[in-house]
Amino acid sequence: MSTKRWVPLLAGLGIVLVLAAGPKVVSPFILQFLINLFMMAILAESWNLIAGFTGYASFGNAAFFGIGAYTTGVLLTRAGWPFALALPAGGILAMLFGVAVGMPVLRLKGQYFAIATLGIGETMREVVYNVEITGAGTGLVMPILRSPLTFFYVMLGILVAVTLVNWWVSESRFGYGLIAIREDEDAAAAMGINTPYYKTIAFALSAAFAGLAGGVYAYWITFIDPDAVFRMTTTIQMIIMAVFGGSGTVLGPLLGALVLSSVSEMLATQLATLADLFYGVIIVLVVLFMPKGLSDLIRQRVFSLKYFARNLREYRI
Amino acid sequence: MVILQARRVTKHFGGLAAVSMVDFDLREGEILGLIGPNGSGKTTLVNVITGMLPYTDGKVQFKSQTIQGLQAHEIGQLGLTRTFQVVKPFRNLTVLQNVMVGALFGARGGARDLASAHRKAEEVLEFVGLAHKAHAQAESLGVPERKRIELARALAMRPTLLFLDEVMAGLNPSEIDEAVELIKRIRDRGITLVVIEHVMKAIRKLSDRIMVLFHGEKLTEGLPDEVLNNSAVVSAYLGRRYAEQAHA
Amino acid sequence: MLILQVLINGILLGGLYGIMAMGMSLIYGVMRIVNITHGALITLGAYITFWTFTLWGWDPFLSLPVTILLLFLYGYLLQRFLLNLIVRAQMYLTLLITFGIEVVMVNLVRILWSSDLRQVTPSYAAANFSVGGLTIPYVRLWVFVTTVVLSLLFLLLIERTRLGRAIRATAEELRAARLTGIPVGHIYAVTFGLGAALAGAAGGMWGMLFPMTPIMGRPLTLKSFVVAVLGGLGTMMGPIVGGVALGLVESFTATFIGPTYPNAISFGLLVLILIFRPTGVLGRRES
Repeated sequence: MSTKRWVPLLAGLGIVLVLAAGPKVVSPFILQFLINLFMMAILAESWNLIAGFTGYASFGNAAFFGIGAYTTGVLLTRAGWPFALALPAGGILAMLFGVAVGMPVLRLKGQYFAIATLGIGETMREVVYNVEITGAGTGLVMPILRSPLTFFYVMLGILVAVTLVNWWVSESRFGYGLIAIREDEDAAAAMGINTPYYKTIAFALSAAFAGLAGGVYAYWITFIDPDAVFRMTTTIQMIIMAVFGGSGTVLGPLLGALVLSSVSEMLATQLATLADLFYGVIIVLVVLFMPKGLSDLIRQRVFSLKYFARNLREYRI
Repeated sequence: MVILQARRVTKHFGGLAAVSMVDFDLREGEILGLIGPNGSGKTTLVNVITGMLPYTDGKVQFKSQTIQGLQAHEIGQLGLTRTFQVVKPFRNLTVLQNVMVGALFGARGGARDLASAHRKAEEVLEFVGLAHKAHAQAESLGVPERKRIELARALAMRPTLLFLDEVMAGLNPSEIDEAVELIKRIRDRGITLVVIEHVMKAIRKLSDRIMVLFHGEKLTEGLPDEVLNNSAVVSAYLGRRYAEQAHA
Repeated sequence: MLILQVLINGILLGGLYGIMAMGMSLIYGVMRIVNITHGALITLGAYITFWTFTLWGWDPFLSLPVTILLLFLYGYLLQRFLLNLIVRAQMYLTLLITFGIEVVMVNLVRILWSSDLRQVTPSYAAANFSVGGLTIPYVRLWVFVTTVVLSLLFLLLIERTRLGRAIRATAEELRAARLTGIPVGHIYAVTFGLGAALAGAAGGMWGMLFPMTPIMGRPLTLKSFVVAVLGGLGTMMGPIVGGVALGLVESFTATFIGPTYPNAISFGLLVLILIFRPTGVLGRRES
């Protein structure tokens, strides 16, 4: 690897070490906030793999989050598995589901794909609602683990992993394939890229990490039910965080998660409805004025109103 | 030696026969000109052979391997590729990155690592004359240069057979001359070419043989002088004026 | 006898689903926008009807024209001054912005009317009549009749008026429509207004049949989409066919399998249709 690649890696390592030391110096409240932040960042980065790089905007990734949560939850409660096994199982099952669902659904164009994934998310909730082993509508209660440190480090670990995967994708032959698919799928196929295979892998990876996040969430929150883990809001949040930060970049989703989580947290202390409203308004503003996200803003280095005005005019009728 | 054998290639869209029972052979190293009026099925023929559209009927062998029924990417990996009539650049990538995609995924699966793909891409850009724009966003280039990106991308795939779909559309006369020279140099590298064009001057200069399509069927094929003076071809496509001018 | 009852229930419900889907199909057919705010527009219609009923005692059927007008205006303004700005953006951005608008709308409703369950209960709410062993509530019957009337009016508008022709022209070929002098920004706004009006009418009637909450619209957006896709996105008769079909499916599922299953079946159906026959029953095959 050239020296150019060492610098960001070392910087990243530095940040991770700082974060790892975090629990020693911050309050329990901030610790919980950070765990949630890491979780949202994982979701945003995982969405980035299928949407940002590959161009297939899935509107149902909460389904994988929920599958991970329920798999881990069921294994913990009904089968007595230790967390160290139940968690990877959650990720693997979510990934397998991603492959199974991905194969037919990735053949659909643009908006059909989005709606199909949306439908899958909603269907999962309704199905789980009716199934006994998952506790149906009543939900599942986990054994309690009073160790915020465990959750902190596990979430951080998964976050580092998914970010590394994003980084690897951005610098690899595989990543070039995904990006080519995003830019022009027909041309990509003509170039020799096995598009169905590549898309499915991206989707599976996306699902796996969302599932892992869900698995940790289940144990952390201690109680899950279909409405909590198969929420449309979760999907929307991960999408807007990735888009706000810059979808298709490695660090954009992280940035978006950091900024939006923090602001939302500050508002949530006021009123839950206000926090939701905030997300809605942010989404509208971002799509209108900065659809390429903060990353593009930073890269352009031009902090003028012209940038926003140009974006506003770019897609008008 | 025959590099491509196409028999009875047929493509229907509902009731419309876009391509009908087209037979032809391609000899290694030759340039076949493919001409015909708009809507005669030239691009559809290419789409079917390169795997972008399913066949209604037909059998095609490329280097003794049956390729009808294979997927587009598999055919690309065998060394058969094409440029698109309406160019399809990867807009958010640089020119160099566009060509690298071709280098990474072309014949026999392409390069395995970015570094050698990078080198290959640079070499190809030099060859087509776009090296000075290597780091520009593909989006910022005008149409003639975008056609060169398309060409470079295809060449980076190390193809044995290349279909060029109207690469000269929209070029001015001096650009056309440059394009003709470039295509000749491509042939000199050992690549067999099928050139679809409406620019007769270029077809005449480039083609070893010419095939004419009309309403999806092969009207005739043969040496340029024979074909371009063939009365059926003249009345179907070229027009009397052209024939008179050619004789004058 | 039970089967006949379930059948009737399904058809009556289907009419309502039908006009919901008509609005969605229209907007998609003309502008290629999948309108995620659809459910929120239905919700708005429901709450406006509730408000006029509770504050001023207006009969919910008689206040429908007011609801329709208000929703039309709202939809027109939304499209004209907001959505027209992103019409040519990538699909996921369009979906995302309609999501954002939906979230804003739902939360505004929550703030204005709280999350408590509401329902519109006019004096005749419980009245029904019996015919050969079947019980048919008057409200359901009138809702069905209203949906039929609205559908016919809407079809007349689209097929037989100058406005309808302009809308269909714009849907078919935007650039050509522009060149012939059709003010496409305005037409798009009118189209969205009509879609919103239909959604609002559906909402107004929904409130008479079922309790309303700020988030009642979310499953309805998806169901409208199922119906629209079932019947064929962008067609006008399709939603009616699809609506009745879905109404029947839900009615039979709720009665014979269980009341918590209809949603699962509806959404599952959506996914299956998208995978196997995205053009629906009546739609044309997109190339």
